[in-house]
Amino acid sequence: MNSGTDEPSAFEQRARLLLNESVERLPAGVRSRLTQARHAALEGRRSWQRSLVRRWAPAGAGAFAVAVIAVMFTMMPQGEGPAISANGPFSTAAPEDLEMLADSDGVPLNGDQDLDNDFYEWAASEAKGAGAPSVGT
Amino acid sequence: MLAFATLQTQTSDLLPAGKAHLRDTTQDGARALETFLAEVERKAFRIAQIALRHEADALDAVQDAMMQLAHRYASRPAAEWKPLFYRILENRIRDMQRRRIVRQRVMSWMPWRGDEEEEAPDPIAQAADTGPLPPAQLESDQMMHALEQALEQLPGRQRQAFLLRNIEGLDVADTAAAMKCSQGSVKTHYFRALQALRSKLGDFAT
Repeated sequence: MNSGTDEPSAFEQRARLLLNESVERLPAGVRSRLTQARHAALEGRRSWQRSLVRRWAPAGAGAFAVAVIAVMFTMMPQGEGPAISANGPFSTAAPEDLEMLADSDGVPLNGDQDLDNDFYEWAASEAKGAGAPSVGT
Repeated sequence: MLAFATLQTQTSDLLPAGKAHLRDTTQDGARALETFLAEVERKAFRIAQIALRHEADALDAVQDAMMQLAHRYASRPAAEWKPLFYRILENRIRDMQRRRIVRQRVMSWMPWRGDEEEEAPDPIAQAADTGPLPPAQLESDQMMHALEQALEQLPGRQRQAFLLRNIEGLDVADTAAAMKCSQGSVKTHYFRALQALRSKLGDFAT
């Protein structure tokens, strides 16, 4: 039995010889059409690759531009940023001042809105009525 | 579009020396693929022609297989191309055989259309060569004709195993990869094909 792993038998050798001869003796027309088919396959691959580049080039350029802008914003020094200026109102503020501003229980800064006017009016009337010296004197 | 192509060409020409290997690799790959296809195309055509018994269909099958290999599998290692190509070709051959069977069934219901659909044979291609053939070539042609007839009568898998091993010279492992089966199955198919051909052709080898 020759299962294909041993040396080919005389029958197989003869068959191979005949088949190879038939391959070599293909008509010129067939050979020409095979060459055309090969070129068409290779050209099809090239045009497919080109169309792939054309299809993805705009998206790639857009993604690249977005990445460049993101990197520019990330790498920019904070002193040059438009939001926080070196000459702005908070540039010289000490941390304790900022804490005081944030403290809701502290003295209100806006007197017109937050002072207890009734209390001061009552205190003034009491002082007049009693003839006592005014507060602070 | 033309501007883009020009820009692309200029860009590729301006590749720095360190990146030139990228262009070379692409060109080498295309050249390797072309060499491979040129090497296998005739043998592939003969395999398809024996299986399909139709020259135009065989050419179509080979072209489809080439295109599919070039589009989908060109990036694979070159060592894998041959089994892949023959697997694609065999799938195309099987598709065509199935389509032919369906067409014949449909045509059997519409017998009046059968003759119109048939392609008219090329009279020049059909013309017999009147020149005398050398006796050795005549004998060889007769033996080839007998072998082809015997191969046509084989089951598809046996014929495929025999042709891949003897026309293309694939080893058992590559034949198994091309046929998408185990090496043991390849050996079985091949052995049965050999037995059947021997019983039909008798003293063909002498």
